[in-house]
Amino acid sequence: MALGTIGDQDVASRVEATIQRRGRDVRGTGFRFALFAALGISTLILVILLVDVLTDGWPVLTDRLGDFWSGTLRSRSSDDSLGISQGIVGSFWIAVFVAVLAFPIGIAAAVYLEEYAPRNWFTSVLDIVVRNLAGVPSVVYGLLGLFLFVKGTAVTNWFVDRVNNRWNAWYGEDLIELGQSTLFAGGVTLAVLVLPIVIITAAEAIRAVPQSLREGAYGVGATKWEVIKSQVLPFAAPGILTGTLLALARAVGEAAPLILVGAITGRLAPRDSMFSGLEDFFGQFADRFTAMPIVIVGWVQNSGRDEGFGPAAGAAIVVLLVFVIIMNSIAVLLRNYFEKKRG
Amino acid sequence: MTDRSSKWRLLWAVLAMSLVVVACGGTDSADTDADETSSSDDVANDASVETSDVEGQIFISGSSTVEPVSVRVAELFEDVAPDVFVDVEGPGTGDGFKKFCAGETDISNASREIKASEAEECAAAGIEFTEILVGIDGIGVMTSDRNSAIDCVTFGDLYGLVGPESDDVESWADANAITGTDLPDAPLDIFGPGEESGTYDSFVEIVIEDLAEERGQDAATRSTYSPSADDNVILSGIQSSDTSIGWVGFAFADNATGVKLLDVDGGEGCVSATAETIASNDYPISRNLYIYVNETNAADSPALRAFIDFYVTTGLDEAVSEVGYVELTDAAKAEVIAAWQG
Repeated sequence: MALGTIGDQDVASRVEATIQRRGRDVRGTGFRFALFAALGISTLILVILLVDVLTDGWPVLTDRLGDFWSGTLRSRSSDDSLGISQGIVGSFWIAVFVAVLAFPIGIAAAVYLEEYAPRNWFTSVLDIVVRNLAGVPSVVYGLLGLFLFVKGTAVTNWFVDRVNNRWNAWYGEDLIELGQSTLFAGGVTLAVLVLPIVIITAAEAIRAVPQSLREGAYGVGATKWEVIKSQVLPFAAPGILTGTLLALARAVGEAAPLILVGAITGRLAPRDSMFSGLEDFFGQFADRFTAMPIVIVGWVQNSGRDEGFGPAAGAAIVVLLVFVIIMNSIAVLLRNYFEKKRG
Repeated sequence: MTDRSSKWRLLWAVLAMSLVVVACGGTDSADTDADETSSSDDVANDASVETSDVEGQIFISGSSTVEPVSVRVAELFEDVAPDVFVDVEGPGTGDGFKKFCAGETDISNASREIKASEAEECAAAGIEFTEILVGIDGIGVMTSDRNSAIDCVTFGDLYGLVGPESDDVESWADANAITGTDLPDAPLDIFGPGEESGTYDSFVEIVIEDLAEERGQDAATRSTYSPSADDNVILSGIQSSDTSIGWVGFAFADNATGVKLLDVDGGEGCVSATAETIASNDYPISRNLYIYVNETNAADSPALRAFIDFYVTTGLDEAVSEVGYVELTDAAKAEVIAAWQG
């Protein structure tokens, strides 16, 4: 019985030939080697990068990690209080802004797109627009942030007026002053930057939920809201979580938008502790800021004038990498945890 | 129910962890600040009582070259006047003046004098300013340290190599046809800063402008080289080619390895670039570093006045050389102080 044909051979004789062949499958081995080489090249580049920053930053990381952690921006690399605390604090709050703004809005938009929106030309266009937004260079988002949140437009002025009126009623002064770069502007800009990424990854995760799961839930009389809440979202949670945490890692590592928004490179004078009162706590969002990538850029630029900034920049890169790795590991752990629970 | 609560427990644990991380950072830095102020009591005692009492905020923007000087002055001033908060950024001289003339900054760092167009912008916005000379930075002209064929360049050489007429110059010898110089035949690789940089402006103004005017050309460099905003990129470019030429600020050039600083002949013989020749104005390519102070703000703010008082004394004496630039001579310092106080 003929099984069919591949090329000009029939399947039976081809199978027979493969089984009886003594020599090696040359093309198969070659293909495997090519794949391995591709993996090797990408790993090698990563390893070279890691070794490079680690050797650069090693003296700082081993000799004065404590001071480096708690130190601030300084003019000279030999200064004992040169360090990254201001960058860490800025990057932490940027991460909080992203988590608070981009995650709920992005996930909600994804749920709407996947579960509620009708399939028509409008949603197709919307889909393409969101995907394109995810590929827009981050500098462009920096410009957007500069005009919307630093210089101020009609919309932002309206919003700022409302906030200031309220704040005036409580503390007798304005909270937000436009025309100055603020932590608020930096955080919101990066939240906007990762929003399309959050939407896309969340939408993919929701799309991967088996239709049978929804149908089963409808079958026992659940409403659409109940289906989404108790079946779709829990099933999609691992995928959504991975996507959001990767987006967070991206936001924390971005330098270009923050340069445009006006993060500080030279010096940030010591502030009152943000834990000393509500006013100081909220005040910091309307204050100048810096962030880890900006600290690194500044030190690299200064390393020609003062060689010691090179190791400091290397050490700061290592710290930032460690944070990103921690975030990505949490993403993997959470995904595994939820996947196991899902069964 | 148990599932849900354990999920939340996990989330809270993550949140709490991250808060602890930041809280540690915050308290630690507060500790360091306290240490600093207490260790510097002796300095504070020397200063007048009024200075240590002033309070206020000062924002400085402008040249990234001058940025470390102002940061260093602010660090020293913090010991004297702990309640004055000075923030400094360095987007570039031109960007700094835009902010300064919009009234967003108290002081603008500048690695060149304010341009007429920028001064007009300030005047239109009603911003009056005082110019203060704080230090000098030479511009180092360099080649690879493997290049032994050349030790000294004239302004004419430089004009031929990188001036406005040299777009097609691909060998050092090609420049001879332009200004009648006598350079060897070797491939030419050029590395320098771009137009946004104060170093670029100063180089054009000092080296190229006069010759360009004589020959009826625009005061600019050739358009055919790849500029970089990052001095490290320029340095590694110069190192990479045996017959390269390039220029960066002296503070960067003096620290660099793998490159050779060329002597420069500005019409009075070859002069090597050292801190001494730059301070004495013998080295022909040097540029002044300035700060521009918003006069209205200075009149309104005792903190800003005290800061400038400190800048023109301790700043000029200590900060400028500490961050790698060349101090003014004593006579020039006296002039600066007299101008500010008068």
